[in-house]
Amino acid sequence: MREISMIITLMLKEKKDVLLSILYGFLAGMGAVAVFANSGYLISKAAIMPPLYVLTVSIALLKLFSFTRALSRYAERYYSHRATFTILSNLRVHFFEKIMPLAPQIFQKYRSGDLLSRIVGDVESLQNFFLRVFYPPFVMVTVFLATIAFTMFFSIYIGLILIVGVVLTGFAIPAWFAVKQSHLERQVREQRGQLSVSATEFLYGFRDLKIHQKLAKQESDLIDASDAYIHEQEKDGRRALFSQSLNNGITMIISWFVLAVGAYFVSIGELEGVFLAMLVMVSLTVFENAVPMAAFPNHYEESRLAAARLYSVVENEEAEQTRSEEVLEKLENSQPWSLTMENLTFTYPFEDRQALHDINLNIPIGSKTAIVGPSGSGKSTLLQLFLKVYEADSGHVLINGKDVRKVEEESIWSGTNTLLQDHHFFYGTIRENLQLAKDGLTDLQMNEALANVKLEDFSLDDSVLEKGENLSGGEKQRLSIARALLKGSRLWLLDEPTSSVDVLTEKVIYEHVFDQASNDTLLLVSHRLTGLEKMDRIVVMNEGTILETGTYDQLMKQKGYFYEMKQIEKSVFSA
Amino acid sequence: MVSSILIGLSIIAQAYFIVAIVDHVFLNDGTFQDIIPWLGGLFIALLARAMFSYVNGRTGLRMASKVKSDIRKQLLQKYARNPMQASIKGQSGEKVSVMLDSVDEIESYFRHYYPQMIQSTIVPLMMLVAVFSYNWVSGVILVVTAPFIPIMMIIIGKNTQKKSEEQMEKMAVFSGRFLDILQGLSTLKFFGRAKDKREDIRNSSIDYREATMDVLKIAFLSSLMLEFISMLSIALVALEVGLRLVIYDQLTFFTAFFVLILVPEFFASLKELGSAFHTGRGSMGAATRISDELEEEELPVHWGDKSLDVSGGPPTIDLRGVHFSYGENRFALKQIDANVPPNSEVAIVGRSGAGKTTLLHLLSGLIAPTDGSIDVEGRPLFDYKESDWFHQLSYISQNPYLFSGTIEENIALGLTDFSREEVVEAAEQAGIAEMISKLDKGYDTKIGEGGRGLSGGEKQRVAIARAFLKKPTVILFDEPTVGLDLKTEQILQRSMKKLGHSSTVITVAHRLHTIMRADQILFIEDGELVANGTHDELLRSSPSYKNMVRVQQGGDAG
Repeated sequence: MREISMIITLMLKEKKDVLLSILYGFLAGMGAVAVFANSGYLISKAAIMPPLYVLTVSIALLKLFSFTRALSRYAERYYSHRATFTILSNLRVHFFEKIMPLAPQIFQKYRSGDLLSRIVGDVESLQNFFLRVFYPPFVMVTVFLATIAFTMFFSIYIGLILIVGVVLTGFAIPAWFAVKQSHLERQVREQRGQLSVSATEFLYGFRDLKIHQKLAKQESDLIDASDAYIHEQEKDGRRALFSQSLNNGITMIISWFVLAVGAYFVSIGELEGVFLAMLVMVSLTVFENAVPMAAFPNHYEESRLAAARLYSVVENEEAEQTRSEEVLEKLENSQPWSLTMENLTFTYPFEDRQALHDINLNIPIGSKTAIVGPSGSGKSTLLQLFLKVYEADSGHVLINGKDVRKVEEESIWSGTNTLLQDHHFFYGTIRENLQLAKDGLTDLQMNEALANVKLEDFSLDDSVLEKGENLSGGEKQRLSIARALLKGSRLWLLDEPTSSVDVLTEKVIYEHVFDQASNDTLLLVSHRLTGLEKMDRIVVMNEGTILETGTYDQLMKQKGYFYEMKQIEKSVFSA
Repeated sequence: MVSSILIGLSIIAQAYFIVAIVDHVFLNDGTFQDIIPWLGGLFIALLARAMFSYVNGRTGLRMASKVKSDIRKQLLQKYARNPMQASIKGQSGEKVSVMLDSVDEIESYFRHYYPQMIQSTIVPLMMLVAVFSYNWVSGVILVVTAPFIPIMMIIIGKNTQKKSEEQMEKMAVFSGRFLDILQGLSTLKFFGRAKDKREDIRNSSIDYREATMDVLKIAFLSSLMLEFISMLSIALVALEVGLRLVIYDQLTFFTAFFVLILVPEFFASLKELGSAFHTGRGSMGAATRISDELEEEELPVHWGDKSLDVSGGPPTIDLRGVHFSYGENRFALKQIDANVPPNSEVAIVGRSGAGKTTLLHLLSGLIAPTDGSIDVEGRPLFDYKESDWFHQLSYISQNPYLFSGTIEENIALGLTDFSREEVVEAAEQAGIAEMISKLDKGYDTKIGEGGRGLSGGEKQRVAIARAFLKKPTVILFDEPTVGLDLKTEQILQRSMKKLGHSSTVITVAHRLHTIMRADQILFIEDGELVANGTHDELLRSSPSYKNMVRVQQGGDAG
């Protein structure tokens, strides 16, 4: 409920469109009622031979009502949809502002890639909140109030019947189904999850399933999962259909009562017969406005869940982050820093195995260090701890002798040329993507940076698609390096920056990087063991800890882990 | 169909009874007693209308469920018959989405559009007949005006189609911005740029709104036109019956009222068809995607019923003029001839893209040669029973897939007759027992989807353990192209040697020691077998092979 009220607050920023939607919705609803009331009256009046001017006026009114109705409906749709999309824009900005301070930690914590698409999807589904949940009840209530007041004028009883009708179809039945909805929806989601797992295993694990002769079983599991999912969907659909039909049926019965009671009063002379047709037509029409309420439970539940999910993501994190109220120190970043780790252990959230343990490392100012080791040995994690993306379970991470716990993370980032494995490129141009690095970059500087990473063929005006879809892995890596070169901070944290770049190009790029970084502190995670001869030090990691450190020559002489890895690398054919 | 007719009938009956009741008490001064039977009739008609709509909806739902279920089964069969192409092309993810999302998306066609189409074809016709039979002039007005609705729709559609297609593209771009920016949020933060993007989101969302509204305005406009046409038509009918009732005295009140109730129903039904049409159109894209999948070319594999006897050790395997292509002009393996004696070690060597993995798939029997044959014990492989062959076979890929389940289930994959001791022994041989024993639940730890993740090296070792437990006579091994951790590397070497004692091992080799150890190397270039022999023989006989080895060892300098 609290989440919903936050959404409503956001929504009411668009007061004007909201009010216009309700106003035109009301006019359209009333227009329809008036058209049918009028035609019922007209035809009855015609039957008793009235003076012609009565008919002329009625017909003119009929036209007026018809036009009002059609045009109001158009305006209602226009304003309500416009409001919807404006609200969507506000929602996006709102949630962006909420998520912004939590990055990048939040993305690392929920390492599943679907967190983001879920956020986007949830924000998107909230746009329906206004269109399907918020304003239809207002329109319904106002139209009914006006109509009931009108009918009361002719017959109190018929007015009362309509009140019963609107309470049942507009509130009682939707509310009743809303309660049942949440349960069913969860089941549909669960079954879908099962099906998704089955289908994924079937297709990705096909070869193993086939050779181990488990394919038939997986196939039948998949069919079962599919049928169970379809069954739940059908149940859900049946329930929606039933709620709709029930609403419909009750509407019909209300109209029947209106006719029966009306006919009775006409027969005993308490109601003029000429109004009977009109009242019946009114009753048959006015309930059109209760129709959107049948879909209300579905949309309400959807919005509520979406809002709850969104706020649970941002608020849990906020709560965790605000625990340290103390003012954090800003690091001065015009000079290179030293980096230290002392007795550090670290475990990823939701895992029980330690990703890093017993790490002691000291990286002097201006030194060049390579970290090597098999995949999963903790190399990247180490870099992220220096960036304060994670915090250590125990032990210390120090930058220039200061514990990062007491340092403002933005100041670490602004002093670092960070190149982690997920380089993001935005929709736009190469220029826009490079300009992220620093303000006031000239085209000349950017072209030079492109040349340094051997991308001189690229034009700054070339377009880039979302996530750099139109760039190859190697091109993305090279662009990231260009961006880092442009940024020009004094600490370099590079995580396999050239894994998709060929050896020759890599060599050229490294020359530029090392040239620019000659006095800077540099930490390079490398998947290749070649070209490390010039590093001041090589740190060898395996299974979350440091096995050995030393220069290339020392390690080769030592004939330890690095030496063995080197032998394997020599024997692996990359051809 | 039947329920649609019944809906039509109940609408007509409803109109008839309402008119009769009003007519009776209003003009004929009848008593309430007189109209009770009509009220009863009306009550039944109203209930019937609600009920038959429900039945119609149920039919649509059931039909949608049946279609979805059938299509999923068809897709599944298709994939089961012809899946290797999918995994070779790396499209498994896409296919999962076809199976889940596309199938779900076709629902609205069957659930909403189809029943509504039937209903909207039948019901207006019945209304028309009813109107004609009471007052032909009104009927003629309807027949003349109604066609303007589709004509108008076509005109509007024609003029706006291009525009809306343009808008659709814009919409896709604008709506993608939010996700794009969120995905890049870490990058933005590291560059201290996150705040700048706030306005970007707002602007692109407003642009999205404008583009969407342009499209929607067209839709709203067409329903406005529809409304005007039906309104005009209703007004014409009202004028006609009014004049004939009052001035010419040609009609009774009964007829006039009856017609006036039915005419709006006539148009309402047509309008519903329009909106159902829009929902139905959304399914079209999904339907195309599914039929594309179902029409994908197949290269089916048919197995025989001969038994394969391996009591005397691993079978002899012969490749006789094996060809393979993925369809016209697509990649092919050409004329591969080779003999693989029992217990031998074969290395398949070549540059990436040469066709090494395809050859391994052919040897496994997962795909069939398009020409030539693979003979096992002197008889075509596909003469044997599928289960007999796969029972003899282990396939260790570069990225072994772990299924959701326990570690034990993953090691024993497909076997029914095994004990915990055997599983533990296999795990020990594959060098993973130590890691497992450190886990709280040991062999019962859940892994795979939704379970604990294993590193690349650990997955390899699970796959090796599978082979130790299965004890096959033929092992196909796709050696990893990158170096794993030292321990896994050592285990791989040791294990393959051990497994080679009791079986034939065919490896797509990426390591020099594997190649040097092989009894026979199949050197492949561009789908052709260019040399066949031991390492030393090939160094002497094949300049191309020699060059490749030399580059590899010299490449170290880079």
